[in-house]
Amino acid sequence: MKMEADLIAGFKEKTNKMLGFYTEDAKLSKSYIAVAFIALLVGGFLGLLQGLNRAGLLELPTWFNYYQVLTAHGLLLILVLTAFFTIGYFYAALSHNLGGLLPKVRKLAWIGFYVKLVGFVLAVIPILMNEASVMYTFYPPMAAHPVFYIGLALIVVGVWLCCIGAFIQVANWRKNHKGQHVPILSYFATGVFVLLFFALMFVAVEVLFMIIPWVFGWVDTINVMVARTLFWAFGHTLVNIWYLTAVSAWYVVVPKIIGGKRWSDLLTRVVVIALVIMNITGGFHHQIIDPGINAVVKFMHVFMSLAIGFPSLMTAFALFAVFERTARRKGGKGLIGWWKKMPWGDVRFLAPFIAMLSFIPAGAGGIAQSTNQLDQVVHNTMWIVGHFHLTLGMSVVMTFFGISYWLVPFISNRVLTPQINRLGVIQTWIWTIGMICMSGAMHYVGLLGSPRRTSYTTYGDHATALGWDPYLMLLAVGGTLLIVGVILQVYAVFNMMFFAPKGETEFPIAEEEDNATKTPYLTERWGIWIVVMLIVVAMAYVIPLTEFIVNAPPGSPPFKTW
Amino acid sequence: MNQSFYGLLLWIFLVAPPVANFMESVMVIHMHMQMPMLVIAGMLMARFFQKRFSGFFEIWNSNGVPGITLFIVIMVYWMLPRTMDEALTSHLVEGFKFISLPFLAGISLRDSWKKLNSFGKNSIIISFTVLFLGLGWLYIWSPVQLCNNYLVFQQVTLGWGFLTTSIGMVVYLGYNFFIDPSAYE
Repeated sequence: MKMEADLIAGFKEKTNKMLGFYTEDAKLSKSYIAVAFIALLVGGFLGLLQGLNRAGLLELPTWFNYYQVLTAHGLLLILVLTAFFTIGYFYAALSHNLGGLLPKVRKLAWIGFYVKLVGFVLAVIPILMNEASVMYTFYPPMAAHPVFYIGLALIVVGVWLCCIGAFIQVANWRKNHKGQHVPILSYFATGVFVLLFFALMFVAVEVLFMIIPWVFGWVDTINVMVARTLFWAFGHTLVNIWYLTAVSAWYVVVPKIIGGKRWSDLLTRVVVIALVIMNITGGFHHQIIDPGINAVVKFMHVFMSLAIGFPSLMTAFALFAVFERTARRKGGKGLIGWWKKMPWGDVRFLAPFIAMLSFIPAGAGGIAQSTNQLDQVVHNTMWIVGHFHLTLGMSVVMTFFGISYWLVPFISNRVLTPQINRLGVIQTWIWTIGMICMSGAMHYVGLLGSPRRTSYTTYGDHATALGWDPYLMLLAVGGTLLIVGVILQVYAVFNMMFFAPKGETEFPIAEEEDNATKTPYLTERWGIWIVVMLIVVAMAYVIPLTEFIVNAPPGSPPFKTW
Repeated sequence: MNQSFYGLLLWIFLVAPPVANFMESVMVIHMHMQMPMLVIAGMLMARFFQKRFSGFFEIWNSNGVPGITLFIVIMVYWMLPRTMDEALTSHLVEGFKFISLPFLAGISLRDSWKKLNSFGKNSIIISFTVLFLGLGWLYIWSPVQLCNNYLVFQQVTLGWGFLTTSIGMVVYLGYNFFIDPSAYE
């Protein structure tokens, strides 16, 4: 009897390996994804509170005020949700692509998991105590309780461990597969972890060597401009890491789901390399309004920022090429008639597709904001919040949602049922309408001058401020729809994780087209691309940083503005 | 042919007075952006000259050593503070800059690099790393103004430009030294 059970277990293990499924690794990814979606649930509710407050519908109590809610909302959604999802997703890809995680890599990822959780708990305590209402950034001269920064530093360490694990995994695979290209999804993972690794260095320097000594009182003042610059070198890169994660699914997974093939392997890899090289320097366009950077340098950075738009245009071209080719192969006709052949009823396609579409206005808004004169109008307004929700809340997160409908069943050894698929389609439309209302209202009310980072006020019933109210109401309507979307999504994820029928789900990875040209091996030489990246970073940062340090003002003591 | 044409376009763009004036207005952009870009323009144009005068390169630069020597001489010459100053004051010297960097340094670098063995290549990179570290040290800690045309502050910025570039080169050398490509490829 026992022998039979062993035999069945052994057989199951073998089939799983054939499918690229490794039980231990799946448990790891499942834990990461579960944390990500719990963060979505809590963070989403906090977002709703903010939206209702901004519309003047809800007065938050003094013991849990608007700025506390904002800080927690930001921390949960832009740090926890994104980091945990990205790592869970890419570790699943590394495991599936590269023959299972090495035991030491898995261990590193688990240690990273717990270090991040401990860091997160440490960061949340001062927020709940209203000691860290700094709106989730490391942005002097506002200073939070030291424990908040220690918690964030631990999150950084946790992510670093996952980066190192990924590097070990990829290097090991390459040693055993000489001369081969790293499978495409793992290639994206490598790019993302390289970016994370270097971007985190900036923020680590800021937090460890500048902010922590300052909040503990070991030094009296901080160089605000240097700190902000280091913050954005990290912050902007982080934003693009989410984007690159979403892009990986657009290039690799979506073509498979629609029954097509990947369009160009070389183009895909060049896009990854270009984003890795040019990303960190983009941080400066977040500082266009900052004093202390002269116009010449700001002008130079317009080029550096717009350069990042170029790979995105390549992406748009490649993806629409895939769509059209696939649809025509299926019998689609006409200039735009082929659209009818796309699988609109499949949430695994619909969600990422709408996410892609939303990136067109989102990217255009980003280009507007990195232009000096245009940014002067919108920089401190709700426009920026709208932009952020359109890019992260739609382009990135909707792709993550789309991924969850096959990734969660895959790592849980279950299947996506037609009911959950239908639920997903409904969720996608609710989310789309909600986000269009909310982000659209934010953009517009921002143009009318409504400031960001501010709780509801009518400025003594000033006529201009009262004129914002209808838009703020629309914002709250959007926010309410979004929370419905959050609940449906979280329900779907946990249903697929624990209750859906057992079965095998495929990890969808599209193949290259038949007549594809061979990709040159140069794309695998990460050492060279990292050196190029470092030199580009030096080009961008040496001039302003030297100026901030050599001609430094007296510096600022910590401020508690709340 | 195509890349030679783009090289020519880049060269014309760099020489155009508004671009040149802008790039020369900041010391570090002058030395670390304009000058390397001129060399790159020359490297792109090199293909045209290699095809046109293949015999010349074969006779005079068969092992790459004469070419790389010329490259080093030109590069070191333009790293002297005095020469940069002169390029800003005298049109003749400025003209020499626009010609020497692409046509003497850029072309000879492209023609020589592939002909050098790995020892030669590494020695060149190591010597430039050392040179950059030295110049970085000089420009950052020099108590006096080294260029009449630039403030001491600009000089410090250039010094950091040298140091960060040399860090990039050290990383590259480390990568070359510690990572054996044959283990992966």
